[in-house]
Amino acid sequence: MNNGELLVVSGLNVSYGEAKVLFDISLSVKPEQVVICVGRNGAGKTTLLRSIAGFLKPTAGSVVFGGADLVGRMSYDIAKMGLKYIPQDKKVFSDLTVRENLELGSYATRDYNWEPVTDYFPKLKELMDRKAGFLSGGERQMLMIGRALLGKPKVLLIDEPTEGLAPSIVDHLKNVFKELSKKTALLIVEQNLPLVCAIAHKVYAIKEGQVVSEINEADKIEANVCEQYL
Amino acid sequence: MLNKVRWWRGILLMFLLLLILRIFLPLPFVNEILVFSIYTMGCNFLLGRVGFISFGQPAYLAVGAYGTAFYLYYFGSNPYVGILIGIAVGLIVAVIVGPFFVRLRSDYFALVNLALAVIVFYLMEKVLAGITFGDNGLWFLTNIDSTPVLDLGKPSDFFIFAFLVALAVWAFYKYLDDSIYGACCLATKINEDKLEFLGYSNFNIRLLAFVIANTTTALAGALYAVYFGFVSPEITSHARCADPVVVTILGGVGTLYGPIIGAIAYTGMKDLISGMIGNWELFIGFLLVFIMLAGEKGIWGTLEPILTRFTYRTHKKRVGDSK
Repeated sequence: MNNGELLVVSGLNVSYGEAKVLFDISLSVKPEQVVICVGRNGAGKTTLLRSIAGFLKPTAGSVVFGGADLVGRMSYDIAKMGLKYIPQDKKVFSDLTVRENLELGSYATRDYNWEPVTDYFPKLKELMDRKAGFLSGGERQMLMIGRALLGKPKVLLIDEPTEGLAPSIVDHLKNVFKELSKKTALLIVEQNLPLVCAIAHKVYAIKEGQVVSEINEADKIEANVCEQYL
Repeated sequence: MLNKVRWWRGILLMFLLLLILRIFLPLPFVNEILVFSIYTMGCNFLLGRVGFISFGQPAYLAVGAYGTAFYLYYFGSNPYVGILIGIAVGLIVAVIVGPFFVRLRSDYFALVNLALAVIVFYLMEKVLAGITFGDNGLWFLTNIDSTPVLDLGKPSDFFIFAFLVALAVWAFYKYLDDSIYGACCLATKINEDKLEFLGYSNFNIRLLAFVIANTTTALAGALYAVYFGFVSPEITSHARCADPVVVTILGGVGTLYGPIIGAIAYTGMKDLISGMIGNWELFIGFLLVFIMLAGEKGIWGTLEPILTRFTYRTHKKRVGDSK
């Protein structure tokens, strides 16, 4: 761990077959830090998160989490180590109820305390017996984040959490992320600039698979600065 | 996750269903249904819960049946020991081939199991003909000892034993369905990536499901061997490979009562129609096409929502009347 950094990505290169998608990406996340990657569609943001989470094998580079190299590890091992990935598509286990979805998260981590989850998302309490397939987009996102919180992860990788959600829910998520960052580091891919400016401690701008800019100071993170990369 | 009231209610319903069968249908037919329903429960679990379609179930049936048959023909005469050996052989085979098979996608999984069934067929018919007697099969009915309490050589005692085994297997699958592991199986079928995000290994979940399902199938094979006192390679012939899948679909994929309903329907139609027309398989084929077109849910899958609505309405009416 360098300079108290929890997650360090160095010189990461990822290809889909012959097509190279990420070029020497380097970034770092400290505990209790909110780091946001911004960039246009197709810039490689999702690929970056999937590579860190162990779903794609990098062709070069390293991903060090809490001092351990993650490259070559199975994705479920990485999740067990405390680095949880919340994908963009908001697909939950639709045939299972909300309770069963949470139970799956609990059983994997042996964390059966749902209080923090229902504190962040009180609405989930009312939806416990509903099949997850019948939830709205916002409710699904709450469920996915809530489920990932079980086991007290050290880092959450969240892919476009506000995409397609109503403004009120985006506002709620903004407050949740602020609260969450007091306990957990967050690495988020996001294009909602007001949200980025409100919660980010550090921003990486990604363009065509490369980090083209890094804004380290929270007070310099402004919508007009980030907008040029979208 | 396990609702104990629902669990016991389910067991009671299953018990009543099997009892009704015994009262109204001839004993050999009921015994055949019991063995067939246990055979189908494994396939139903694989297909309904994990999303794996297998055309090789007869291979595991044959492994269990021949495990029991070899013991009863060559080594001993206690049918209970024979059944335990059949189960153990099925378990060992599933543990050996499982790690290779469960890595495959569902379509390749179906084909590799079919290939295994072909291998087992030729092993029993040709390669091991010296000990299996090839097409003539192994006859060992007279070798089976009479045992105290339940004499499995008697069809009526075999019924009680098979009845208890079917009930136990059904209760076990009901327990699995309601458990976290059952949810994991369903989750691996719905979205395998998402399950790994949570820290689960899809491979381990699928391997366990494969071993459980095929050990159940081997148990059915062992019961088959003891009941008929005869085993031949015919039970794993290619013509039989689709049987458990057909029965699963006919009964209702992934439903707990599906295997028994499917076994009753399939065995019943086979017996009834084969007495009337020669090519009964043709009729079954058309019926299956009809069921798939009608809603893909099978008999129990179609009936269950209707029954649930009916019982809910009756309950509501009763509550209304009492008010």
